[in-house]
Amino acid sequence: MKSNTFGWILLAPTIVVLFFFGVLPFLYVVYVSFHQWNPFAANPNMIYNAAGNFRQIVFDSAFLASLGVTVAFVFFAVLTEVVVGYVLAQAFMSDFPGKAFFRTIHTLPLIIAPIIVGSIWKLMTTPSIGIIPHLLQSSVGFDLNIGQSAAAAFIITITMDIWHWTPLVTLTLIAALVSLPPDPFEQAQIDGAGKWQIFWHITLPMIAPAVMATVFIRLMDALRIVDEVLMLTGGGPGSATRYIGVHIFREVFPRTNYGYGSAISVVVLYLTIVVCWLLYTGMLAPRKPRKG
Amino acid sequence: MNVRVKLGVTAFAVALMSGTALAASNDDFWAKAAEPYKGVVLHGVTESTPPSNYIKDVLAPEFEKKTGIKVEIETTSWDQMYDKAIKDMEAGTGIYDVVYIEQDIIYSYLARNFLTDITKALKDKPELKASTYDDAKFTSFANYFKQGGDLYGVPMEAFLKVYCYRKDLFNDPEIQAAFKKQTGHDLKPATTHEEYTEIADFFTQWGKDHNMQLWGSTAQAHTGHAASWYEYFESVAPTFGVYNWGIDASKNYAATVEHGGGMNSDKAKAALKWWLHLRDIAPPESAQSTWSEVATTFAAGRAAQGLVYGENAAWIATDASKSKVTGQVGFALPVLSPGVLDDAKSGKGYVGYYDGGAFGLPVSSKNQEAALLFLEFIGQDEVQPGWAVAAPRITNTATFDAPEVKAMDAKLGGFYTMLKDEGKLFAGAPPYPFHAQVREATAPIFYDILTGKVGPDEGLDKMAAKAEEELTSLGYRK
Repeated sequence: MKSNTFGWILLAPTIVVLFFFGVLPFLYVVYVSFHQWNPFAANPNMIYNAAGNFRQIVFDSAFLASLGVTVAFVFFAVLTEVVVGYVLAQAFMSDFPGKAFFRTIHTLPLIIAPIIVGSIWKLMTTPSIGIIPHLLQSSVGFDLNIGQSAAAAFIITITMDIWHWTPLVTLTLIAALVSLPPDPFEQAQIDGAGKWQIFWHITLPMIAPAVMATVFIRLMDALRIVDEVLMLTGGGPGSATRYIGVHIFREVFPRTNYGYGSAISVVVLYLTIVVCWLLYTGMLAPRKPRKG
Repeated sequence: MNVRVKLGVTAFAVALMSGTALAASNDDFWAKAAEPYKGVVLHGVTESTPPSNYIKDVLAPEFEKKTGIKVEIETTSWDQMYDKAIKDMEAGTGIYDVVYIEQDIIYSYLARNFLTDITKALKDKPELKASTYDDAKFTSFANYFKQGGDLYGVPMEAFLKVYCYRKDLFNDPEIQAAFKKQTGHDLKPATTHEEYTEIADFFTQWGKDHNMQLWGSTAQAHTGHAASWYEYFESVAPTFGVYNWGIDASKNYAATVEHGGGMNSDKAKAALKWWLHLRDIAPPESAQSTWSEVATTFAAGRAAQGLVYGENAAWIATDASKSKVTGQVGFALPVLSPGVLDDAKSGKGYVGYYDGGAFGLPVSSKNQEAALLFLEFIGQDEVQPGWAVAAPRITNTATFDAPEVKAMDAKLGGFYTMLKDEGKLFAGAPPYPFHAQVREATAPIFYDILTGKVGPDEGLDKMAAKAEEELTSLGYRK
């Protein structure tokens, strides 16, 4: 009992901070989401709207379109990051000349602020001055203009996210791979298992919790991407890269549609939780030993 | 010594002494008035533009030297500036003592009572009133920041979005001859939309034929940034006779033709198609260009003509470290449809965008008196000439006659003269308190028009309907 009290005392500062800076703002957002509130409306006060905002979301084509491109973005970006991150992690597990140098270089994007990442990629993709359109034009004769081509803008935003965040996946998976005991691998080799069998039956199950944690982190990050995309494309061309974070930003800040923007935020949070739960049950639950 | 010479020397000495005495007395005023606020630190937020940077780098340190009041100016992006200022004023936290008010947002701020009445505040506290500051010294641009005759923002930048053209290209005999041969007309700055298109088409083809990085026109046509929306509604549509974004406040804020508005009128549709054609023959970066990139494109010598925000005019025309076209930039009025100039002269319409902003004092500021002193300081005639030379903005009438400004005007090819003489033909944004809301509601459709997802006619119909829907939702349209 005594040690329990001491534990709560130690935790108290964190709980207080979390309550005031996490729980309270969240409850406020939920509260606002049940109101119609635009400070620049004829009536700038909050007007109780019951579930009106949530009803509107269901029929809001802009929101649904934004959700659609976000899901596609998250799927391609996170899947590629996990695959490439694993390949790189495996590469960094073995020794090769210049390994330390390459590992450092590869990690550098992680320390760059998202808004700067967006600026860098904007410079690299702007027609007439960008290195990427220049190289594509001179090598394969392709005119890249992410201000005009929706597909190009979508692919470039995914590429930018992969460039920025794959190192995080790599580092996490290196940590997981390093911590694996050598015995099961030696045993499998003695039993004549191939590389693919070792990966599928030993490595993957053993690093699954790490992969899952990484996927969750990246999934949540990718779902709320704003800064880089806002800087690179502004959500365009048209609404091709108006991902849900950008959509919420536009609703809440320039349009000052606080009530509706809050409702979208709540729905997106709910969807994120559902997706994570589905992933968890889909990937980890089947591996749990069955009773009976 | 001749009596006349003696008199002259005496007069000069008296003038010199009185000038020195006046300056000393001014310094005394600032020191005395600021005495109770010495050590106060004022915080301001503004967009990172040449005029704002001048305040941050020159005027704020000068003010601190005279008053002991430190002013920390945060210069940031356009979006962030709004975000920070509005959140602070909405929540009443009082982080900022000075905020940048772009002309188009003033009506929203006034509707929400965010700003202190500067005229009244100075009347109520005469001990803070500097003899060198007077509301009447501002140009007519200050009227945008007035309500009931009182001033709510000290103008700090004002410029026109003008038609810029490359004098070196327009005066090149070979190009002139080729243009004449192709079109049958002399090459000169355009005055009509048809002439402008003809010149733009010619130069884009000329660039292709001569393997040059040259196009016929700029286009502020970003497919995901409000800059394109602004170029169309504030600079292009008015030249076709579509004013105030095509929204008629007197007709229950109608936007559709059906209800008496003009956002989807034939004129609006013609304007959009004209501009879309220019976008198609503009440099490829236009689809990603905001106002800054348009200026950069023009400065890089990649466009023969275009509409460029005046805040960039000075550096494009004179700063060789940033511009390849120094000394080669001509300025003219935007091209117009018949009747638009008459509308502008009679006050019924306008020919283009009078861009600018002011510094205001939020009601939520906890340092009202010190901030008032700072606003007076930047509004004085005496600080204006250096500021006007560093950034091409003029907010005080007397600044036009300052010798250094006249010299700069000659260097710029008459940009300030145009501001002085033709400024009245331009106008800022319409007096709507729902500026950003209507823009954001309609912009996604506009971007779809730019990408070709929706046709211009259908798109403008949708935008007009959306604008009315938004205005109804906001409670302005009954």
